[in-house]
Amino acid sequence: MNIPTDSLCELVIPISYGSTAVIETGKWGFQKPDTNLLTAPCQEACPAGINIPEVLYFISEGRKDEALFSMLMENPFPGACGRACFHPCEANCIRAQYDESVSIQALEKYVSDRASVQIEKIQPIANESAKRIAVVGGGPSGLSCAYFLSLLGHRVTIFEAKREPGGVLRWGVPEYRLPKSILRKEIRRILSLPIEMKTGVRVGRDIPFEDLDHFDAIFLSPGAGLNPSLGIEGEGLKKVWKGGEFLERINSKEKVILGKETLVVGGGNTAIDVARSALRLGSQVTLAYRRTRNEMPAIRDEIHEAEEEGVRFEFLVQPVKIHPGKKKRLAVKFQRMKLGGPDATGRSRALPVKGEFLTLETDGLITAVGERVELAWVPKPFVKNDLIGLNPSPRVFAGGDAVDQPRTIVTAIAAGKKAAISMDLSLRGNSDKALLSRIRAGKKGSLSMASYLSMREGEKWLEPKGVATYQQMNPIYFKASHRVKIRKRSRAKSLKKFSEVNMGLRPEEARLSAQRCFSCGTCNYCYNCYFFCPEGAVSLDPFLKTRTVDFDHCKGCGTCAKACPRAVVEMR
Amino acid sequence: MRDLREGLPESRGGDEIKSVWFVLLCCRAEVITGLSEEIAMKEFMTGNHAVAHAVVLCRTPLIAAYPITPQTAIYEKLSEWEASGILKGIMMRTESEHSAMASCIAASLTGVRTFTATSSQGLALMHEMLHFAAGCRTPVVMANVNRLLAAPWGFWADQLDSLSQRDTGWIQFYCENGQEALDSVIQAYKIAEQVYLPAMVSLEAFFVSHFMEPVDVPEQEEVDRFLPAIHLPHKFDIEKPGFLVPVVSSELYRKYRHMAQTSMDSVKEVALRADLEFKEIFGRGYGIVETVMMDDAEVVIVTAGSITSTARVAVKILREKGYRVGLLKIRLFRPFPAEALQKALGGKRKIAVIDRNNSMGSGGIFCQELRAALVHSPDRPVTFSYIAGIGGTDVTPEVIQKIVFDAMGRDEPEEKPIWVMEE
Amino acid sequence: MASSVQELNLLRPGHAACAGCGLAIGMKLVLEVMGPRTVAVIVPSCEGAIGGVYPNTSYGVPTFHSAFEIAAPTAAGIANGLKIQGRDDIQVLAFAGDGGTFDIGLQSLSGVAKNNDDILYVCLDNEAYMNTGIQVSSATPSYAWTNTTPEGNPRRKKNIMEIMAAHYNPYSATATIGYPRDLQQKITKAKGIRGTKFIHLLVPCPTGWRTPSDISPELSILAVETNVFPLYEVEEGRKYTINHEPRRLPVQAYLLKQGRFKHLGEEQIRQVQRDVDEEWEKLKHRASLQG
Ligand SMILES: Cc1cc2nc3c(=O)[nH]c(=O)nc-3n(C[C@H](O)[C@H](O)[C@H](O)COP(=O)(O)OP(=O)(O)OC[C@H]3O[C@@H](n4cnc5c(N)ncnc54)[C@H](O)[C@@H]3O)c2cc1C
Ligand code: SF4
Repeated sequence: MNIPTDSLCELVIPISYGSTAVIETGKWGFQKPDTNLLTAPCQEACPAGINIPEVLYFISEGRKDEALFSMLMENPFPGACGRACFHPCEANCIRAQYDESVSIQALEKYVSDRASVQIEKIQPIANESAKRIAVVGGGPSGLSCAYFLSLLGHRVTIFEAKREPGGVLRWGVPEYRLPKSILRKEIRRILSLPIEMKTGVRVGRDIPFEDLDHFDAIFLSPGAGLNPSLGIEGEGLKKVWKGGEFLERINSKEKVILGKETLVVGGGNTAIDVARSALRLGSQVTLAYRRTRNEMPAIRDEIHEAEEEGVRFEFLVQPVKIHPGKKKRLAVKFQRMKLGGPDATGRSRALPVKGEFLTLETDGLITAVGERVELAWVPKPFVKNDLIGLNPSPRVFAGGDAVDQPRTIVTAIAAGKKAAISMDLSLRGNSDKALLSRIRAGKKGSLSMASYLSMREGEKWLEPKGVATYQQMNPIYFKASHRVKIRKRSRAKSLKKFSEVNMGLRPEEARLSAQRCFSCGTCNYCYNCYFFCPEGAVSLDPFLKTRTVDFDHCKGCGTCAKACPRAVVEMR
Repeated sequence: MRDLREGLPESRGGDEIKSVWFVLLCCRAEVITGLSEEIAMKEFMTGNHAVAHAVVLCRTPLIAAYPITPQTAIYEKLSEWEASGILKGIMMRTESEHSAMASCIAASLTGVRTFTATSSQGLALMHEMLHFAAGCRTPVVMANVNRLLAAPWGFWADQLDSLSQRDTGWIQFYCENGQEALDSVIQAYKIAEQVYLPAMVSLEAFFVSHFMEPVDVPEQEEVDRFLPAIHLPHKFDIEKPGFLVPVVSSELYRKYRHMAQTSMDSVKEVALRADLEFKEIFGRGYGIVETVMMDDAEVVIVTAGSITSTARVAVKILREKGYRVGLLKIRLFRPFPAEALQKALGGKRKIAVIDRNNSMGSGGIFCQELRAALVHSPDRPVTFSYIAGIGGTDVTPEVIQKIVFDAMGRDEPEEKPIWVMEE
Repeated sequence: MASSVQELNLLRPGHAACAGCGLAIGMKLVLEVMGPRTVAVIVPSCEGAIGGVYPNTSYGVPTFHSAFEIAAPTAAGIANGLKIQGRDDIQVLAFAGDGGTFDIGLQSLSGVAKNNDDILYVCLDNEAYMNTGIQVSSATPSYAWTNTTPEGNPRRKKNIMEIMAAHYNPYSATATIGYPRDLQQKITKAKGIRGTKFIHLLVPCPTGWRTPSDISPELSILAVETNVFPLYEVEEGRKYTINHEPRRLPVQAYLLKQGRFKHLGEEQIRQVQRDVDEEWEKLKHRASLQG
């Protein structure tokens, strides 16, 4: 027998110098692990389709810039959304079923404020195209559409009626919730792309709609800028203002003087913003709403904060008449209301209680009872039920508050993104509507720009196999923990000024908060599969974003799949 | 006085009577030495002490040991020298002989010289590791003080402890006195480190281990000249990580066993060369077997260990009386020097092998081995086996004379061992 | 976690451990932290099987396959041999199973700990003689089935940590694969300490525990979270530190996942719970003794 000896030493005793790696123990197994990707329900719930697990992974690793880039891929307004978004992501966070949801919004704000290299300038991703697109309205929807179109290489011109872009974010949402410096920074970043911004140009007044004909496509996002009246007697009296105008004056830094007491009518975000702004102007505020707190369309946290700051609530009342009161005050007469059965939207109807009234005296009254779309300049065929149609002509798309969709910042952004992708497809002559469904993040309609870009570039990308559920998680690997309580400026301090109330997360808090993310369905390099593979067959590279298995040696024990807390690994 | 106390066996149970006898022996030695430890050239010392000297002279840096009577004095002496800085290295005070051997093997595989000493029960406890040491081809050197194995209990000289380890793959030397023990330890390193096999130097309990004699302790430079630095090809190497002694196939096991056997065979020659070289430097030599007055001998006494000294006296007396008696001392037992024995004993008429050991169910081990070695010699002598000195019983010159006469009186070969049951 | 660590691969693939072997996971995690400047000792056990048959080995560091009962003195011999040669840069690691530690190797381990020889001893405890085919050891927990306790083990598991603590050795710690970072931190800490360091590493064994091949890490976590196997360290035999606040799940959560406990009756489970609670109180008390 010829015995291999590769060393002199082995002339004395046997010493193994070879590696067992030559033995293909992989043949023992009959199943192999496969890498899965599932959409996290938070991403599905985020209309902008932000890849939240990825962003939170970057934050937990202290990689703030990458976190910001990841967000910017799907949403040009992380600063605004991190403050003013109604964060459906958190409501859908799987972790809520285990202990408490992850503080996604706070983290979004954290990243947009703290990315170490402030990402001021961005470049288009795709090659420049010759296509020109007009966007009417420089609110979040229009700016987003322009942003994504520009990333995709198209040349965009925005027509904005006001002297500055930003729409409601600029003139509506008050400083203490969204500092204008933050908004300007985000808009500056958008406009660092080759976008032409024409402010002070109201389409229909300064230029006719037909002037847009020479563009290859048009996006209409004029928002809902009209403040409707209550339609009751006495609205013309002095000291009766409209909410939108009131906020716009404050946001224009005009001096606004209120009396000792102010009455606000309405239950939406505008009403709350008005009420809290009025507090800051030194007035005592009562908010009157015709339904109850549960039916208020305003963001929950905002209602809560308003109450904490001292806004009083008067529910189940509807104004019917305003008349001058004593000492130059106003007397507002309210009809008492009660809740009835649900209406078409599922909200309880408000029904008058016959013969029951209430009169409140006040120094001023601000009404905030919804916004309407100005349609005078819009070609008639594009109008539908007092709104603009979504895709009224092959070249024309619309989105934001002006169309039939929830009136929120993030849906406005999502509409801009969706229109941008649709336009890109049609401008490139691609009419395959099914494509849109392939780049969806989940089933709720959010689109992933990252997926779209990969698809557009013909790259292979991992398509998610459905949306992750709590049942798929392996909670043994998680340790119960609480959300970090976000620091707020003291009530006394906040009320004196319009400075931001929410002070945001400290770096350590952010890291801990981000680490709480289960990263449902997305690998976040927890290394469980690497640590727990008895064969050392798993390698991970968080930078190349790869997870590879050495199938020559994987015995198919299934440990990695079972030990993946987030259902990324599955045995086949 | 310290030396004297060191020479005393630890008093344990039935040990008393022998101790008294022993104290007398030591006292005799003390009178001669005049209590001096530091006389030039020759010093009076016990066999244990001589062994300890050898270990230091060989610059052995790693010693692992466990106390057992009558070996303990080696361990203590080395500890004392470690404390005083004479011994440069590490003394591992293990919790058993088994672990002592384990540590020696392991340390040896890092490439250092190692030493341990034990006796009887301790050696038996080491048994598993003895095989391991040889299998790992580690040149560990051990002094074994031959002591009987329990039961019943006793502390006296008997060679069964080391002889029953004859199949473990160790080189085995049996020494007659302290000087030889010292010299054999030095030679053992030289041989073991050339053939990568462990070596055991045996000295009998009390007769050698505790008996004080003048011993010539060699000069350090001369030992350094004789004994080069140890070099092991097979040691741990973090630059080239290997798995030492893995599970192997049957064929490979056979191959490595065979290679070890080949090395073991070469020991006879290597040992002779080493002994010659030793003689050149130190003026003393032993060979692997020694013959005394063999030329015309009709009866040859064969011994190993301390009985040889007594036999020398007996032979002298018998010769004076006109009997043609010779003596052959077996010093190297493993490998068994068959060729040397065939050469020395060929043509002799009768051999009387005196064994201070007994393999139950068979007989004296030296005799068995000798018979086997001579079985193919055409002119092989008749071999008689005498079991004498078992359990440390006295084998006086008279006893040896009786054995010789017994052998002379026998004409028929006797297969069975003859037990010498003198009071 | 640098990817370069992965390339070291000191427990190479292709070894012969059973699928899902917790012991292989343990060895891999330990070797990863020990790094290439290590000499390892293994003894006949599953480690031998994992080590591979000549001429190939899964061990990426020089490793010596010693005899069963002498992992510690073998490692100590190597450590001292290296020390003599001034190789203080090389650490010596001894791996032994529970049989080789709790039973046959206990004496020699004790001897080394008493001398405080500079080694890191990792006891890979899979709670029975698994390599020889599942026989009871003194690390087998109460009531567990083995081939030599077909009716369930009548005796409790030996408390090896207390035995080690009684040696006043500088560092002993429990660890288990389900908490790889804790384990690796402990190895790192042990590397920085001179003397005899002892890690009692619980490694689930799908074959012997009668469990599916994919839940070794999970079982290991459950052992900790039920307090069956608390994670703690003992320094100098007196300073006790509990490293992980357990969730204190009921012992059933751990026991009933394993085939070796499937015959347990309610009273037996209650007894295990009582034992666990009692040990935990003792441990907490010890941990509270120093500020
Ligand atoms: C006070 C207030 C608070 C709110 N708070 C929140 C909140 O906290 N969270 C949330 O999610 N949502 C909130 N919303 C809703 C959210 O702001 C809107 O849904 C979102 O701004 C809609 O964006 P948009 O781009 O469609 O319209 P807008 O923001 O209204 O922008 C439209 C832009 O188009 C311009 N424009 C209009 N007509 C023309 C024209 N003919 N030519 C050129 N330019 C034109 C306007 O000047 C304006 O700049 C709030 C709304 C209000 C009013
Ligand atoms: S845990 Fe993270 S990934 Fe999962 S739903 Fe919540 S935020 Fe999304």
